[in-house]
Amino acid sequence: MKIGLFLCHCGHNVKGTVDVAYLSQYFKDYPHVKVSCDYPFLCSKPGQEMIKEAVIKHGVDRIVIAACAPSLHFELFRQVIKEAGLNPYMLKRVSIREHCSWIGSDPIKNTKKALKLIKAGLHSVWHAIPFEEKKVEIERSCLVLGGGVAGLSASSFLSQMGIKVYLVEKGGELGGNLKALKNIWPGEKSASHILQILISRLNKEYVDIFTGAEIESVDGHFGNYRVQLNVRGKRKELKVGGIIVAIGCTPFDPSLKRDIPYGRDRRIVTTLDLERVSELSLPSHPRIAILHCVGSRDETIGRAYCSKICCMNGLKAAYDLKRSYPDSYVESFYMDVRAHPRGGEEFYEKVQEKGVIFTRSNVPEIIPKKEGILLRGEDTLTGETFEREFDLVVLSLGIGPPEDGKKISQILKIPLDKDGFFLEAHPKMRPFDTPIKGIFIAGGCSGPKDVEESITQGRAAAFKLFSLINMGYALIEPQVATVFTERCSGCRLCERVCPASAIVYDHRSRVIRIEEAQCAGCGLCASICPSSSITLTGYTDAQIIDEQRALL
Amino acid sequence: MEENVKIIGFACSYCAYKASEMAGSLRLKYPEGVTIIQVPCSSRVDPALIIKALLEGADGVFVAGCHPGECHFIKGNYFTRRRIYALKEMLDIFSMKGKLRLFWISASEARKFVEKIKEMHKHLRESKR
Ligand SMILES: Cc1cc2nc3c(=O)[nH]c(=O)nc-3n(C[C@H](O)[C@H](O)[C@H](O)COP(=O)(O)OP(=O)(O)OC[C@H]3O[C@@H](n4cnc5c(N)ncnc54)[C@H](O)[C@@H]3O)c2cc1C
Ligand code: SF4
Ligand code: SF4
Repeated sequence: MKIGLFLCHCGHNVKGTVDVAYLSQYFKDYPHVKVSCDYPFLCSKPGQEMIKEAVIKHGVDRIVIAACAPSLHFELFRQVIKEAGLNPYMLKRVSIREHCSWIGSDPIKNTKKALKLIKAGLHSVWHAIPFEEKKVEIERSCLVLGGGVAGLSASSFLSQMGIKVYLVEKGGELGGNLKALKNIWPGEKSASHILQILISRLNKEYVDIFTGAEIESVDGHFGNYRVQLNVRGKRKELKVGGIIVAIGCTPFDPSLKRDIPYGRDRRIVTTLDLERVSELSLPSHPRIAILHCVGSRDETIGRAYCSKICCMNGLKAAYDLKRSYPDSYVESFYMDVRAHPRGGEEFYEKVQEKGVIFTRSNVPEIIPKKEGILLRGEDTLTGETFEREFDLVVLSLGIGPPEDGKKISQILKIPLDKDGFFLEAHPKMRPFDTPIKGIFIAGGCSGPKDVEESITQGRAAAFKLFSLINMGYALIEPQVATVFTERCSGCRLCERVCPASAIVYDHRSRVIRIEEAQCAGCGLCASICPSSSITLTGYTDAQIIDEQRALL
Repeated sequence: MEENVKIIGFACSYCAYKASEMAGSLRLKYPEGVTIIQVPCSSRVDPALIIKALLEGADGVFVAGCHPGECHFIKGNYFTRRRIYALKEMLDIFSMKGKLRLFWISASEARKFVEKIKEMHKHLRESKR
């Protein structure tokens, strides 16, 4: 073992409070250190050359660079090491700037601390292994689950890029929620026209559409999934590299809320019903009520969240009705008007100008009477109670999680959030990813969304998947968990905790196996295994223990 | 007399370690006795590593991970939370509960990170007297 240690002054940044010259001298005699030197700026061109030359001249096989924080100049130093003919995993970075010279001002203390940190780095690099990134073949094909706008936009992008797409739709035809809508906001676009455009963008050569189809099981891992389909009673097997889940969301079923006599009185309808009927039988000067937030922001049914799109649906219904029945009295009962999409606020004003009355209230009590439907509630702005009669009550429905969420979550082993929508890997940074590599989520199935957002998400998820499978091969991050099967007791604890579903239990040999391509490298399994039979390469127990010893 | 308190901190690469880098860039000061080991996820920290550090001379150990619900690996930090809690119960028997701490630190919370460290350091220094 021959270690090269390079210390950086970083101009005055490190050298100002750390005696770099002393340290480089000190480590000259340290076990396994072949060469130890310091330099004003290691990241400069001459600095890089100096490292390369020293490595070659002294036949060094591993390197410690004591300089700025490891995330800075990450690629630069890796490249230098590669050019010097070494494997990039033989490099250990030690932060003597962000973790030493910049957080203390006493030169003696700082020098002592830097000494400890460098020692720890040297001890850690003793354990370095020249990992090779493994190349595995992967399928240039994918499964898109759900033929709504999100699934369609994902499929059109991927098929246009020459990726084979298997589009699996549970219903009899493509289109999802939009099939049931006529005009959609914003801007009164025709829903069927939008669907037509999306479908026409599918590159037929690369898309196989299965309607009336569902998935029964999925096994394998990123790059090579085997999917069992049930297409109208017939079984079919597919091999795909990745999966996009776009199974949409479901409008709330108002009959689930007992105090709403929906389905028992024809004068109570939903905005969806309005889309279906062309003519309503209403008296002249009809009195119409629009109720927002039915099945939303309602703790009593376990739905505390805002469904985001139903305010717009309520506004649109009010506007349409007022337009069709100019002599009508239309009153909207809302909790808050959240007209979120572009142009939404302007549309809200337009609806008010049209003469629709807005009353702030929770969903009022609905009491059907012979001569009309009585609404009783409290105006939450004035605190006064109201009782008014209407000829028609329109419910603007909240949005619930995907119907098959639980089932798909079990088959694909991807998590759901507390409301039953699919959970993104990170709400801000990775909104289309699931914890499982190669499986993405898009559209309404990860939370209520409008059409624009769903189309965008479908395309974004497709793009992420495309960049993973396009090459037909994948480089596997070498820092993954490995198991000593001799030690494994087969308790399967690790299998239960692995967030990436990378651990497979072999029933015959009664031990586990780790799918390297799937492993995310968290190390949870290594720390949970009671038999200490798993190690995380790059962060082994021995390495961490040696490191902490040097620090004490 | 200056008490030399040694603290080993395990910091998750995705959050707390980044915060520690940022603390440096912001030139926030904290005692030199605190040294940090980078781990891929707070859940990598085996209780055995913590016990070992305490036996081998650390006055305190902290584990710093992402806030609940923000783990890069989805649920790693929930395991960390349970594990540290259990380990604390055990350490309590030896009156060593105060030597172990768990922090939730996001990548942007450099100041909070430093405050937590300083507070822990102060506490350990006082109990060492
Ligand atoms: C009443 C109402 C009115 C709306 N009005 C508007 C509007 O005016 N403007 C607007 O922007 N948005 C509107 N929306 C929202 C819009 O409908 C959604 O944003 C959009 O449909 C989401 O698209 P999606 O592809 O994610 O899901 P969906 O459209 O729900 O499509 C999901 C598809 O997946 C299929 N599927 C389900 N489970 C499975 C399974 N297990 N296997 C295979 N396939 C499966 C379904 O059959 C469906 O075809 C409205 C929603 C509702 C409920
Ligand atoms: S936790 Fe350890 S012993 Fe148990 S199955 Fe996994 S590897 Fe084997
Ligand atoms: S390190 Fe272990 S627990 Fe983490 S993803 Fe890999 S196999 Fe799963």
